[in-house]
Amino acid sequence: MLIKISWRNIWRNRTRSLVIIVALVIGLMGGVFSAAMRFGAEAQQFEDTIEYQISHIQIHNPEFIANPEARFRVEGGFEMADEISKRPEVLVATPRTAFDGMISSASKSTGVRIRGIDQETEALATKTDQLVFEGSFLDDSGRLPGMVIGQDLAQMLNVRLGSRIVLTFQDIYGEVISASFRIEGLFTMNSRSFEESTVFVLASDLNEMIGDPLAVTEIAVVLNDHNKYREAASNLQQTYPSVEVRHWAEISPHLYFVMEILQQGLIWLMGIVILGVSFGVLNTILMSVLERVRELGVLMAVGMKRSWVFGMIVLETTMLSIIGGSIGLTASYLLVSFLNKRGVDMATAGGDGLREYGYASVIHPQLEPIFYLHISIVIIVFAILASLYPAWKAIRLVPAEAVRQE
Amino acid sequence: MKTVIKTTNLSKVYKDSVVPVHALKNVNLEFSQGEFTAIVGPSGSGKTTFLNIIGGLDKPTDGHVIIDGVDIATMKESQLFDFRLRHIGFVFQAYNLIPVLTALENVSFIMLLQKQSKQEMEKRARAMLEQVGLGDKINERPGRLSGGQQQRVAVARALASKPDFVLADEPTANLDTESAFNLLDIMARLNKEENITLIFSTHDQRVIERARRVITLVDGAVDKDEYFERA
Repeated sequence: MLIKISWRNIWRNRTRSLVIIVALVIGLMGGVFSAAMRFGAEAQQFEDTIEYQISHIQIHNPEFIANPEARFRVEGGFEMADEISKRPEVLVATPRTAFDGMISSASKSTGVRIRGIDQETEALATKTDQLVFEGSFLDDSGRLPGMVIGQDLAQMLNVRLGSRIVLTFQDIYGEVISASFRIEGLFTMNSRSFEESTVFVLASDLNEMIGDPLAVTEIAVVLNDHNKYREAASNLQQTYPSVEVRHWAEISPHLYFVMEILQQGLIWLMGIVILGVSFGVLNTILMSVLERVRELGVLMAVGMKRSWVFGMIVLETTMLSIIGGSIGLTASYLLVSFLNKRGVDMATAGGDGLREYGYASVIHPQLEPIFYLHISIVIIVFAILASLYPAWKAIRLVPAEAVRQE
Repeated sequence: MKTVIKTTNLSKVYKDSVVPVHALKNVNLEFSQGEFTAIVGPSGSGKTTFLNIIGGLDKPTDGHVIIDGVDIATMKESQLFDFRLRHIGFVFQAYNLIPVLTALENVSFIMLLQKQSKQEMEKRARAMLEQVGLGDKINERPGRLSGGQQQRVAVARALASKPDFVLADEPTANLDTESAFNLLDIMARLNKEENITLIFSTHDQRVIERARRVITLVDGAVDKDEYFERA
């Protein structure tokens, strides 16, 4: 009966209840949409960074971290990569010959990270080959060794597919050498900085030039379960104490920070939205209590305990919030699902500049299902909090006086 | 005849204003089972205060209210809620039904609070609505009933839970003559048939003429306590 009374009380003033429900729905949709946009953008950046740039774990010679040069190699790198690949938690480990150098065209020079790759394992570890939009990914055997560079870098150097280009770097003895390459492919991706600062060549070509055919300066490890990166890194460090094993959160603390606080930050954002709407709910219920003073007085006069009256008001508020919350969250879910498939093109709003920061210009809003659960809990908690004052006002009524109120 | 309510030296002083107001002064009264009593007096004579105190809605400054052998003046508020629920029926001046419940649900409501079984509750509520002549209105909400019909639902509600006595605070004040007589007929019949003790506070001569006992309060004290033979 209490539920029945509470439910019917909500619809006593239909317009007022509908207004607050609509406010709750709009507030939730706005909050969830902005949260989903943010999360979608960050998730995209995270995926790009892990999949194309740093993988889950990287292994280096300890000296290499401060001085990324060919001198500081991982001893027995190929065997180590092979062993690591066989671990059950590992999808693949790819050996690389990567170090810093200088790239020069006829008109310009700039510093780059030269990434010498093992084609077979690199294709399993990263999807870089899929980023190539013109030419091929290091599979053409020409007179000059091939190189794949970013579109932005090509524009900066004023070169194009087939152009000859020179890389300058140090060999394993620290001697500076230069070598010519031919641009065999152009790639593009969401991160402009990666596109401008990384070039891909074959490790076998590079190793010949630096004077060590078995050189490995970096091993990138991709795990089967990306959540187990800490445990996996720790195990690898124990197995190979002479090398430096770092997981992605250590390599990119900024990314880790963003991903860790993002979910919580978004819950707070939603909390603020819901808090704002809760004041509307509080106002609605308070008005309804003040309009029902005589009736509440009668209920208490005939023997309805104060705790029941309190419960009734809390129930009314919670029901009202649950109605608005359910509609709002369902509508938000549908909106986010629709936009996730369709994508929100920020380029038309000048969003191409997002690439400067590593974000895609087309954002696919998304949210973890757990987020909706958290929001539901926040709605109920705020509904109960919003009901406390009206409920307290109701139980403070003196029945003998309340029944006489006009 | 069994005594239902006994008040001894009942006094109430309101100290809210600068000068204390003596709303009741040493009221000693007894009410027996099945009495039909009207409490009359001018405004401010203490009628409502008296009803509030014997109804457990207010506490006396002094004195005792013995109901069913228990002094309710010493009860805690939480005990009073339960006491009111089990022993007292209320009919208020302004009907005071729950607007979102049907007539049947309004009448069942107190029995629900008493935790009676659903079947028992519904059977009794239907029977009471039949008794007050509203058997065909059980599913109507108060908004669709006339003032007189609403007050009859209120009477059915007050009696449905089989209280020891019913307190009615000016129940006919808002009713037209026909509705008032109709209501009084019903209450008089229930008083006789179910031996219910009815205590009215009223200014209404129509009620006073039906009452078998009329107590007149003046300035918070009992001025007259008269018994009448009625048909």
